[in-house]
Amino acid sequence: MKGSHFGLVGRRVCSSLWARLWTHVLTAGTMAIALFVFGALMLAQENLQNLLTGWGDQIQINAYLEKGLGPEEVSLLRDKIQSFPEVERVRHISREQAWKDFRAALGAHSNVLEGLPEDVLPASFEIFVKPTYRDGPIVEILANRLRKEKGLNIVEYPQEWVDRLSLVVLALQWAKWVLGGILFIAVFFIVRSTVGLAILAQKDEIEVMQLLGATEALIQAPFVVEGLIQGFIGAGLSVLGLWFLVLFLRDQTLTSIGLFGSLGQLQFIDWRSIALILALGSLLGASGSVFSLRRFMKRWKG
Amino acid sequence: MIQLFHVSKIYPPNIAALKDINLQIAKGELIFLAGPSGAGKTTLLKLLFREEDPSQGQLIIYGKDVSKLNSRGVARLRQQIGLVFQEFKFLPHMTALDNVALAALVTGVTRRESYTKAYQLLRDLGLREKYDARPPALSGGEQQRVAIARALMNDPMVVLADEPTGNLDANLADETMRLFRKIRERGTTIIVASHDLDLSQRYGTRVISLQEGDVVDDFSPLKEGRAG
Repeated sequence: MKGSHFGLVGRRVCSSLWARLWTHVLTAGTMAIALFVFGALMLAQENLQNLLTGWGDQIQINAYLEKGLGPEEVSLLRDKIQSFPEVERVRHISREQAWKDFRAALGAHSNVLEGLPEDVLPASFEIFVKPTYRDGPIVEILANRLRKEKGLNIVEYPQEWVDRLSLVVLALQWAKWVLGGILFIAVFFIVRSTVGLAILAQKDEIEVMQLLGATEALIQAPFVVEGLIQGFIGAGLSVLGLWFLVLFLRDQTLTSIGLFGSLGQLQFIDWRSIALILALGSLLGASGSVFSLRRFMKRWKG
Repeated sequence: MIQLFHVSKIYPPNIAALKDINLQIAKGELIFLAGPSGAGKTTLLKLLFREEDPSQGQLIIYGKDVSKLNSRGVARLRQQIGLVFQEFKFLPHMTALDNVALAALVTGVTRRESYTKAYQLLRDLGLREKYDARPPALSGGEQQRVAIARALMNDPMVVLADEPTGNLDANLADETMRLFRKIRERGTTIIVASHDLDLSQRYGTRVISLQEGDVVDDFSPLKEGRAG
């Protein structure tokens, strides 16, 4: 294609977009929905990943004390644990402190605790592990050793949750591509049909251009650009939708129950993910056009 | 120079539209392809601008074997051939000027140049007042001239016209033929397919008669005899 062809391609694209505006709007809307679902899974995955990273940085073991331990026994137990080589420091959380912390975490919903006795929660130790011992297996060995200690009732460590959440993240990652893949295939066929309609509507124009000596590239370029624009707009709309979703969720329950609130705000997808969504949308649009063109051009081969 | 060597065209299942055609057409010739409907005139024109491929034989236009051209080569060939169809093949939503200019725009000529030349051609063909009319609003003769203007946009080596006078009355048909003769004076080869034998004989040009895919006569009055 020569430089002077760009004007011709641009005019054909504009006239086609204008002539079938609503078809294009619907296609871009469908693409936006598919990419929104994909982006929402990506958003969930990225935020859980951030959560996991945050947990990984502050590995601690919670050891809940048996009821009825006196202050001296607690102090002895604390010193013993503190002497373990893996342990950086031990913090004792009394029943009262646990109650206060829990109320604070519930925030505006703390009234649900009314009527409960204030000593319902057990006292515990928060055991911080030295950075050099923070590998999963070492923490697990330490946790098992603690479980054998007299006076400790339940021993929990976040690695269990990290492992469980890692599985959720992995599942989300797969779901993103599997569900996204199914949606993309559907969108691909929709784009192919839309462009097919545009090609059929311009059949005479294509035939005349072929007879006048237009190259295949010149004939096909406007349709590919059309698909690309549809895809890009659809992807842009989905990113916008995701942004509003994040704004909405930030004001909603997740922050109030403290899940994300304790580890910072719910994060919007990063620029790489935005670029991926925009690229996927454009690629879907353009490839739908190319496949549609192949089908029709073969049929009308001049 | 256009050369056809043993060219045949067979459509499935086994319909021979052209049978072993051998022809030589010199630069600047005005030729009539005459014959009744189904004689193979249009098929021959389609082979010349590569809308169809020959089933057998070789077709050479200005040194190039047409059947060996790739899609870009076909596009380039068509840019050097002016086509005039019986049904004109205009884009009805475009003006006459747009339709004519499109022929140059697809070859990569700038918009300004294309439109300037298209306007000049329409003016030369007596359509100065009608350049912004859409084809359906033009008379048959005017549409014919727009089609000729479009065929001439890229200064073609060859003009192929399929029944260009089929829809015109006698006066307009004469006018069209006068135009072709004028174009020929520039050195352009013109091949006109027509079932109107009177018309072809009236202009005293070479007439290649086709019947059921065979060349049954090749008469050139300038050579005062059979051309072969």
